[in-house]
Parts: sequence; C-alpha cells; structure tokens
Amino acid sequence: MPRHEPSLFARLAGTITLVLAVGAMGLTTAAWYYARAAADEAYDRLLVGAALQIAEALTVQDGALTVELPISAFEMLALSERDRIFYKVTGPRGDLLAGYPDLDGRPPAGAQASRPTVSDGRFRGVPVRLASVGRVFADPAVQGWARVVVAQTAEARWSLARDLTLNATVLVLAMSALALGGVVFAVRHALRPLARIETALTARDPQDLTPLSLDTPREIRALVAAINHFMERLKGRMTLMQRFIADAAHQLRTPLAALSAQVDLLAHDTDLAQRRHHLERVQERTGQLGRLANQLLSHAMVIHRTEAVPFERLDIVALARRTLRDAVPVSISPDIVVSFEGPDHPVHVNGDQVSIREAIANVIDNALRHGAAARLGVCVRTDACSAFVDVFDDGPGIPPGDWQRVTQRFGSDPSGGGRSTGLGFAIAREVATAHGGALSFREPDESGFTVTLSFPRILDERS
Amino acid sequence: MRGIVGRFVAALAVPVLAAVAQARETTQFPAVAAQDAVLTIHAAADLTAMEPLIRDFQAQHPRVAVTYVEYVTNDLKLAASIACEAGRPLADVILSSAVDHLVRLANDGCALEHRSQDTARTPSWAKWRDEVFGFTFEPAVIVYNYDAVPAEDVPRTRVELAELLRTKEDSYRGRVGTYDPRRSGIGYLLTITDARQTSAYGRLIESFGRARAVVHCCTSDLLDDLASGRLLIGYNLLGSYAYARVRAGAHLRIVLPRDYTVVLSRGAMVPSTAGRPDLGAAFVDYLLSPRGQRTGRERAFFFGFDGGAPPEVDGPLSVVDSGLFRPITIGPALLAVQDEARRARFLADWSRSMIDLSGEQ
Repeated sequence: MPRHEPSLFARLAGTITLVLAVGAMGLTTAAWYYARAAADEAYDRLLVGAALQIAEALTVQDGALTVELPISAFEMLALSERDRIFYKVTGPRGDLLAGYPDLDGRPPAGAQASRPTVSDGRFRGVPVRLASVGRVFADPAVQGWARVVVAQTAEARWSLARDLTLNATVLVLAMSALALGGVVFAVRHALRPLARIETALTARDPQDLTPLSLDTPREIRALVAAINHFMERLKGRMTLMQRFIADAAHQLRTPLAALSAQVDLLAHDTDLAQRRHHLERVQERTGQLGRLANQLLSHAMVIHRTEAVPFERLDIVALARRTLRDAVPVSISPDIVVSFEGPDHPVHVNGDQVSIREAIANVIDNALRHGAAARLGVCVRTDACSAFVDVFDDGPGIPPGDWQRVTQRFGSDPSGGGRSTGLGFAIAREVATAHGGALSFREPDESGFTVTLSFPRILDERS
Repeated sequence: MRGIVGRFVAALAVPVLAAVAQARETTQFPAVAAQDAVLTIHAAADLTAMEPLIRDFQAQHPRVAVTYVEYVTNDLKLAASIACEAGRPLADVILSSAVDHLVRLANDGCALEHRSQDTARTPSWAKWRDEVFGFTFEPAVIVYNYDAVPAEDVPRTRVELAELLRTKEDSYRGRVGTYDPRRSGIGYLLTITDARQTSAYGRLIESFGRARAVVHCCTSDLLDDLASGRLLIGYNLLGSYAYARVRAGAHLRIVLPRDYTVVLSRGAMVPSTAGRPDLGAAFVDYLLSPRGQRTGRERAFFFGFDGGAPPEVDGPLSVVDSGLFRPITIGPALLAVQDEARRARFLADWSRSMIDLSGEQ
C-alpha cells in the first residue's frame, strides 16, 4: 500500500503560505529598518537645523562670546512633542556659555569642525541623538571654534518608525492574505483538469482502451500522453496476447486433429505393418506437438520477459557456450561434429539471460532438426559495437526467399510440415529486436548456412 | 485673615535647605476624617488661591492631610532640582506659576509621567510629556481705575495704550504700572512672550520708558496702587488677581487686549522622587477634573480653559475662540526662555528701554 501522501492542494497551499510568511517577515524587517532610517533623517534635519540656528545666535559683545538662545530653535525641536532637549554651547576655550555642562558632544575624530555631525549617544541614562555644529570666530577678542551641541531623546523617532512600520506591516499582511486567497483559488482551479481526467477514466468501459481525448492545460498534457501511451501499450499487449492465443489455438488444433486421425487409424487398422507405421506417425506427431507446446510456452515467456524483466549485464560468450552444451542432446548422431568458437575474454551485453538463452537455443534446435548433417557450430565474435552469435551448419539452409517468412510467427510452411520452423526463428528475432539487435541469415558458404543473432555490446568494456 | 489652621515659618525645620530656600511658609490642613496619609504640596502659588482647591480635594479624600509649603518660584525650582539630583523626596506634587521651571525639571528627568482621564482632557498646549500639566487659564490683562481714567482713554490694544501714553504723556507719566520681569518669574514669562508676539511691543516698552512706568514685583502690589488711585493703568496683570479685586469692590475694570491675549497656565507636576506619587497624581487629577476646574473657576482663578471670561470683563466672549489667544505653550521651547544667558540678555535689553529711558527724562 502506498503511504498516505498529503494532497496536492495542501502541499501547494503549505509551501506558498511558508513563502509568504517568510516574505512578510522579511518585508516587515526591511520596513522597520527603512522606517528607522526615514525617521532619523527627518528628525536629524530638525536637530541639525536647531543646532545651526543656535550657532547663528552666537555673537561677540564687549569682547565676550555670548549666545541668545533662539526660542524658534526650541520650538522647532518641540515639533517632536514628547522629546526632551539637552544642549550645550561652549566657547573656543571650552568655556560653557549655556546649557548642560555634562553634555558630551565632541565631534568624532577626523570630522571637519565646520560640518554638522549627528551621532547616537546617552545622556543622564537615556539614549539621545546628538547634533554638533562648530562656528569659527576670528574676532580680536574671541578666536577659535565655538561649539553647539543639541541632543534630543528619541521618542518621536521611535514612534514615527513604529507607525511607519505598523502601516507597512498592515499592507504586507493584507497583500499576503490577498495572495494566499488568490493562491487557494488558483490551485483549486488549476487542479480541476485532474479531476476531469479522473472522471473520464472512471466513467470508461473497462474494454475501452482508446486514447483519452480531453482538452487539458499544457502542464498535464504530458500526464495524459503518458496515460494514453500506457493504454496504447496495454492495448498492443492485449492484441498480441489475443493473436497469440488465436494462433496457438490454431496451431495446436491442426496437429491435434492429425494425431486424432492417426490414433483412429491405429485403432481400426488390423494390419500389423500398417499399425506400426501408424504408431510411428503418432510418435512423430506427439513429438511435434510437444515441441510446439514448448515453443508456444517459450514464446509466451519471452514476450512476458521482454516487457517485464529488467536487463542485466551478462557475458554472451559464456551464455552461448552453456546454451550450446544444454541444447545438444546426448542422443545426437555421432556423425555430427559440434564446435564452439569465441573470444577468451568475456563479452558483455545488457540483456535478459533467459530470453537470450531461449533465442540461441531455438536457433541451435532448428539447425539440429533441419540442417546439420555432419557439422554444427556456434561462433561468438564481436566488432566495435556489437556482439554476434553465429550458428552454422552444413545443411541445405533456408532459401533467401523464405528468410522473411520463417521469422514470422507460424509462418505457414507451404511444404506442410516437412521443414516447419515453427516459432523458433520468430522467438529468436523477437528477443534480438527486444535487445536492440537483429536476426540475420547468410547464404551457405564454406562454413555452411549461418544464422546470426546480434546484440549491442556494453561499450565501456576494457578488452 | 486667611482661614489657616496651623501656620509657621518652616525654614528652621529643614536647615539643609534653609540657605537656598528662604521665606518658606508651611501650612497644615488636617484630614477631615481619621488621617491615614499626608499629601505634601510644595508650591510657588498663592495659598489664598489654592486653599479652596485643597479643601475641596480633602472633601473628596477626607482621610488625607495636606502639608502646603509655599516658596517663591526660584527657590522652589532650586529646592526641587537639588532634591531630584540627590534622589531625596521633597514633595508629592509641585505647583508653580513659573511653568518654565517645571518644564526644565521635567526635561532633566525629575518628573513622573501620569496619564488619566483627567489629564487627557487638558488641552495639548497646557501639558508636556504627561509630566507637566497646566491647571489654570490666566490671561494677562490691562487693568484701569475707572474713577480716574475717562472712558475715551481706555486702551483696548497695545497700540492704543502706546498711543495714549504718547498723546497724554502728562496725565499718565508715572501712573502706568507693569510687572518687573527681573524680579518675578511670571513677569518674565509674560514679558518675553509679549516680546515675541508683535512689533508693537518695542514701541510699547519705549512709551513705558518715556512715561516713567512704575514696575512692581507682583500683581498684588500693582493692584494695590491701582485701587488706591496712585496708578491709573496697569499692563500685563494676571486676570485672576485683578478679578478678585474687582469682586472685592475695588474701582477697577479689566480689559482683555483685543490685538492678542497672552495666557499663562500654572503648572503642576509629580516629582520623580515623590514619597507618595499616588497622592500627588490624585491631586493633579483633582486639579484637572471638572470638579477641580469648576471650583478653581468659581473661587480662585475666574477664567476657564474654554476661554470664557466673567461678565464684568471688557473683552471678547471667549479668548480661545476669538483668534486672539496666545497661550504660553508648556513645552521645551520654555527651555530657551529659561536659559540664564538668554534671560540676562533679555532683561538687560528690557532695562535699557525702560529704566535708562525713564532715567534720562
């Protein structure tokens, strides 16, 4: 039983919710930083403005530097309603002119004295923002830099940053909610064709293996194509099986009828010599029938295996040698010379051992049965990309005109049983084809009539 | 005279502060019922004005006794700063007519934040950081003695006043009075606010100088002179004091200036070192509550935050709605007003205009 998988909808919705949540958090954080920066910028201007205004109010009177604190500067700072204000005005010698003596607002080292600087700091235990402005005096009595430091607590900044962030967060959340709603709707909508396919498949007659003809979005056209391809294969398979069963039935019916007739004759004939003759015929027919049944089963098996069994790496040389040994019966005529020839090293192909053995065995069997008079040989050879298994004999061979026919299943034998190849070559051809190879014939030459099975080699072989 | 139960000079009771805080007077208001708490009020405000409020507060809180310590504004500020820096409790609530002092104290972190329904009702110009609260509405007014000033002379704007002093210099020389900002915190606040409002101020000060205007430290001295007829016109007096005299039968009339009216609000604050901040906050709440406001308006200050003036006052029906309203906003701008260097400069300028000019003549 397959594990219970969460639904596509739940998966999509979950993933997108996660993405949206992470996005919302990221955006909120970004909004916070941005809001802080914006608030700082806005209030820094006021702070620096106030400091500049105070610096502007510095005057030299009667040889002494004095400052008349401009109320407007403080009113400007008072725009941030809740913030406390600290200030210090010092003369060139560090003498306090006004404000809080303990306010430390030295500009950072290296800063230009004339440039206003803004920095964060603490004053009397509270965090403050400090602006520092210098003003140079070149009066005979007063020479050097006077300095104005204005500090303000950060309540208004924080409150502005908080408001900005809050507004942004509300927007982000609203957008996320909207996106999530849209996603839920879109996912439901997008998954609807799947439901249509499901309905179409369930509603089908079990016999109906025609392709699905549904209008589907591009993304699941592949799925429909796969289903259709699968049905195509299923249909082909079923057709094959049906034809095979029909063929097999037909093939079995003829020898069975003949056998039945022979047995009838045997039963009614009283002549001993005739009876012997009939008995021999019965024996012959039974042998044929057995072979036919074997071939049918073997064929069915081969068909099944080509569809169902994964290929493995195997040594074709060893396989051919073993097959030859098994296929040559002990009762073979001692006149026949059986030979095997092949490379010393293994030659690897990808394939199903059982099927290939069956193919080779069938070709050998055919040679023994119909060809070999004095010689039967199996030779494994290779070229750059294929492995060949030659089976040759010194028999008459098959005329080229019949080559096509004998490789077809139950290719009807016009001679009516004299040299019926049955399923042997058909099986061999099907196996070779299933492995990406081929079955071929060569007209008789000095080594005789040759049937060759070829298979693609595994090329990464070191040999 | 004042219905005071126990009153004594307390300078000797706390010798540490004696050096810096003189002329302190302590008044005890025993609890109405069995006493279980004491509220300490340190104030730079007239006890006469505050007493009805304190008694009404005690009617609400019968088990609370009140200790009322009276200072002049500068001494109160000094005592509060010292107590704040030392972390020593001084009072549960501080009242001062010099709100700039309270703002400075709050800016220095010497105040406790307090929020309530009552503080929320206070207009925003009359509070800062929920720490300093203005609880009175006191317009600066022109007061004249109607026995001595003919109706056609009554000035209703600053320009009219300056013009009057110029055209009838002989009648009014030495008979116009105003606050001495050098000697009074309120006077300084009112004068500097005045100075920032209009260009007419310079001209007015100049005409004061030419007319040898009399300066007094306090509203009550000015009112005494006005009531006795030694002065004819007083400028920049606190409306509440003036109206109290009118009610008492003095031959005085009050004019709310029609060009603009400066409005001051006395401040209340709970110090950060308060021993009973809850009682301090309760008193602040009482002052700002409708009941406290009503009591104050009926018995002590006569003007309310809605800007309504008593019927005898010559002026617009409501100062707030008339567009002539210039409140002294309780906020950090008062820090600049309060700055010592700035104060010295301003007062020097003022003296040059007023005294030198009058001295020349």
